[in-house]
Amino acid sequence: MSINRKKLGALLCVAAVGIAVASTAGAAQQGSPGITKTSIKIGGTFPLTGGASLYATIAYAEEAYYAYVNAHGGVNGRKITDIVRDDQYDPSKTLPLVKQLVEQNKVFAVVGSLGTAPGLATWGYLNTHQVPQVLLATGDAYWGTCTQKVGFKPKPYCKTPKPWTMGWQPDYPSEARLYAKQILKTENNPKIGVLYQNDAYGQNYLAGFLQGLGSHTGDVVDKEKYNFGDSAQVVGAHVGALEAHGANTVVIFATPTASIQALATMGGVLHWSPTTYLNNVSANRLFVLDAEQNGATPNGIISSSYIGSQTATPSTPGMKLAKKIIDGTHNSTLIGDFNNGDNNIVYGLAVAYTFVDALKHAGTTPTRASFMAAIRNLHEYKNPFVYPGIGVQTSKTRTFPMQQLILEKWKGTAHDWRTFGSVIGTGF
Amino acid sequence: MRRRLPALGSVAIVAAALSVLPFVLSDYNVYLGAEVGVFFIAILGLNILTGYTGQISIGHGAFMAIGAYVTAVMSRDHGTNLVLTMLVAFAACFVIGLLVGLPALRLSGVSLALATFALAVSVPQLPLQWSNYLGGSLGVQASTKPSGLFGISMPGVAALSNQWIYGVAWASSALLFGMAWLILRGRVGRAFRAVRDSEIAAVASGVELGLYKTLAFGISAAYAGVAGSLFVMASNGFAQYQDFLVVLSLQLLIGAAVAGLGSLWGILVGAAFVGLLPKISGSVPLIGSDNGRDIVYGLLVILVMLVLPGGFAGLLARLRSLARGLNRESIPVKLRESSSQ
Amino acid sequence: MPRFLSPLANVQPTVYLVVAGAVFLLVGSLDSARFASLTVGGVGVGAAYGSLALALVLIYRATHVINFAQGELAMLTTYIAYQLVQWGLSYWEAFFATLAIAFVLGTAIQVTIIRPVQHRSVIGTVIVTVGLFILIDGIASWRWGGIAYAQLPSPFGFGAWEVGGVPIQHLYAGMFGIVLASVLLVWALFRFTKIGLGMRAAALRPAAASLAGVRVDAMLALGWGFAAVLGAVAALMYEPSQFSGLTPTLMQTALVYAFAAAVLGGLESPAGALVGGLAIGVFLNMLAGYAPQVVSLEVPFAFAALLATLLIKPSGLFGQSQVQRV
Repeated sequence: MSINRKKLGALLCVAAVGIAVASTAGAAQQGSPGITKTSIKIGGTFPLTGGASLYATIAYAEEAYYAYVNAHGGVNGRKITDIVRDDQYDPSKTLPLVKQLVEQNKVFAVVGSLGTAPGLATWGYLNTHQVPQVLLATGDAYWGTCTQKVGFKPKPYCKTPKPWTMGWQPDYPSEARLYAKQILKTENNPKIGVLYQNDAYGQNYLAGFLQGLGSHTGDVVDKEKYNFGDSAQVVGAHVGALEAHGANTVVIFATPTASIQALATMGGVLHWSPTTYLNNVSANRLFVLDAEQNGATPNGIISSSYIGSQTATPSTPGMKLAKKIIDGTHNSTLIGDFNNGDNNIVYGLAVAYTFVDALKHAGTTPTRASFMAAIRNLHEYKNPFVYPGIGVQTSKTRTFPMQQLILEKWKGTAHDWRTFGSVIGTGF
Repeated sequence: MRRRLPALGSVAIVAAALSVLPFVLSDYNVYLGAEVGVFFIAILGLNILTGYTGQISIGHGAFMAIGAYVTAVMSRDHGTNLVLTMLVAFAACFVIGLLVGLPALRLSGVSLALATFALAVSVPQLPLQWSNYLGGSLGVQASTKPSGLFGISMPGVAALSNQWIYGVAWASSALLFGMAWLILRGRVGRAFRAVRDSEIAAVASGVELGLYKTLAFGISAAYAGVAGSLFVMASNGFAQYQDFLVVLSLQLLIGAAVAGLGSLWGILVGAAFVGLLPKISGSVPLIGSDNGRDIVYGLLVILVMLVLPGGFAGLLARLRSLARGLNRESIPVKLRESSSQ
Repeated sequence: MPRFLSPLANVQPTVYLVVAGAVFLLVGSLDSARFASLTVGGVGVGAAYGSLALALVLIYRATHVINFAQGELAMLTTYIAYQLVQWGLSYWEAFFATLAIAFVLGTAIQVTIIRPVQHRSVIGTVIVTVGLFILIDGIASWRWGGIAYAQLPSPFGFGAWEVGGVPIQHLYAGMFGIVLASVLLVWALFRFTKIGLGMRAAALRPAAASLAGVRVDAMLALGWGFAAVLGAVAALMYEPSQFSGLTPTLMQTALVYAFAAAVLGGLESPAGALVGGLAIGVFLNMLAGYAPQVVSLEVPFAFAALLATLLIKPSGLFGQSQVQRV
């Protein structure tokens, strides 16, 4: 019996030691890791494989741009190293990878990471540890609303401010407002059906859209939400419900797979062609071509863009530079996708350009704080990969860098998007 | 009595090693060590159910989810002390485990596995339906504010350093391990094992089948709940439903099998296996990149099951019998084959 | 009545239930074009769930194990078919070649990694299949995961027949037809051939079969082979119906529903698995079409039905009640 008691004693010892360990909490970090006289190390998480691997090209394009910059001397003599990790768009994998980037790889900043859920999984951590989480590849309104309390009632998710987080692309609610305004402007008697993803992403779009309709929210005849991962038949059932409710205008706020499924159902199964609006996230030319192969009839679909197109306007200086950089990678898959109009590649180049721009303005010896100050004071009107006329600007009160969009329409005969009208501001 | 001495020695050595590690490892590795502690508790709980009473569960990720949301929501809404949230997670999951255990009495073997699988698939969807309270796809962010307990100030759930998490996780592990050891060596443990070896024989010898099977479910779920609570602390106080999908439940089952069912002495190895391997195997140079992660990990899972049918505990037992010069296999558990028949 | 169908004889009410369900869907379809469209789509995708569920049932009958890797194995075959088409085979050549490869793959898996563990413990075997799940997922991601726009074309096109004012898409009719044909072929094989008899004997009474000269191990391996073929049929039919290209996660949701279908049908019953798959396919479509308020709960609903089945009638709608052995 006495031995058992000893054993118990040993266990209690472990407990005591554990608590002792716990009470000697680690000291706060000083200085900015990841940066030397000749190098700067950044990292990011992307779905290189798995269900969302269509976005992997963003990461490859960013790496290509950094290689291009490095080959031309780097930024203030510093070569950029970008550590890209594959989280497969699974937010439960993102946090451990980001912790590894910060605590083991000692990156200077987390740049361009993709996805709303992965972003939400990590922004608490990165802000607690004061690590820049910038140029997130997701357009939710969160990334710009929690910086400080400007014009917004603090939301539950903003209980603590997130000054170290910043997005890049136009935010989803603004994009949705633009579609609402366009519908009210062009349609006489719209009966609007909305298909949206049943999560924060879809709700962000929906909220902006309803706000944009203002007093005309009664024009919405049906709102259908689908779950991420639903079969095409279930997504199709929701589209059928929109038709059954008498919609003549369909607005799709979905992720690419579901968008393709919805378009394919409308064209190939229901043979129904209402006026269709498709959110920018799903409007990559390759996605629409994919839908077309599966029976969709995308002619006349309306969407919006904010970056250059290598298929519609290949002769602009920016697209020529893009081609030079991508050809320089000698990665045949990447080059092929680029030539076919995978605008995620142009997107990646544009984001990398903004990062380099901010880094240039962060002083000769950047710290995380001076970098954040620089990226919150951007005056970038000539990003070669962004749609001409659209600027990337930030200030103390302007927390969404890009607040302009251009509308575009799918031209069936050309199998490509064509922009129309002029650049439209989306500011609050 | 004398043959318990080596066990005591190894517990002391392991405990000493675990106590020293956070002071010598790098910050990130301390975090990995804390994650192992989280898995240690969950696998310990699963082992009580599956290893000692023979009831298969592919749904323990669901209990972890419940514990995680208890901690995150209590901290978010009331700034509750982290130790209190763990106790609440323990109690809540104990009760829910009992409730799940009652209908489970009608099931066994593969039917029970599938029923618990249903639990694992369904529970993570609930935050989406009740998004006002459970955060929906936005998740729940716990508070960073410190709070006091018995006059000791503790950081908020979301403001713990890796060393803190490590300390809390392994202190809890030690307490829960001691508790499991005390439960399993006594009358309750004997009843559990009787249920596992033959239900009908157990009833014949006066074991109240329903009571003990349900009790095992409750205890086991409570352990998983504490693990979930710690999981949230290790995730910077953030709970989102994607963390608790069916993959997590399968990981726990893998961990329990690698540890060896029906024995407490392999759990550390099982926890390290599922806590560390998927992260380390990402850097295997052979295949390169993070793609290699799943290939290496999957292969190792299969290999371990082929080579070590009794898990690490089985290996230990075999080594011990070899050392004693006895030539008899003593694998801790012989699970009934095709228990549904 | 063939032994294969004998469970039906024992549970007359289930037959009535199924017939009543079919009549309900038919009448509803004649009444409303939208109901019809939901039914047709649900039956199409439900056939794929059913085929995968049947694969699970075959393995369960043979080894009393649920094979978690069944869906991933099926997913892998879509990439194999894709690769074959890339190498110049026509769709149908690739289809049948893939089925042959799936058969070899299933058999080989049983022989190499399942056989050594299957007599040790149920949990051990289940975990080997979980390891296989992870492994196959990794291989597919590594070898093909970077190809973003890989796709197998639909062999049936996008046309539709009008039957009584109801459009029936070639796609869904084709899915249903191919699945039904392969199920009937497998059934005929089990029912009318000597190998089939041996496989049934090996599954039901291994010891007795062994005494009667049946090579039980070989028979079990064949069972895994045929299960892999049915899984391949499911995935090859499911993939074009999803319009979204090949992805390593293709069959993960489908596997979850196939589990539900198999339990609904009683785990032991091939006919039950198929009917269960169809029922779940139609149910999910109807839920999305007519009850949009509760779509967040579609998975919990499906599994509440599963749990209710397990608790009220553990042997499933089509199963025979079992005798507990000591």
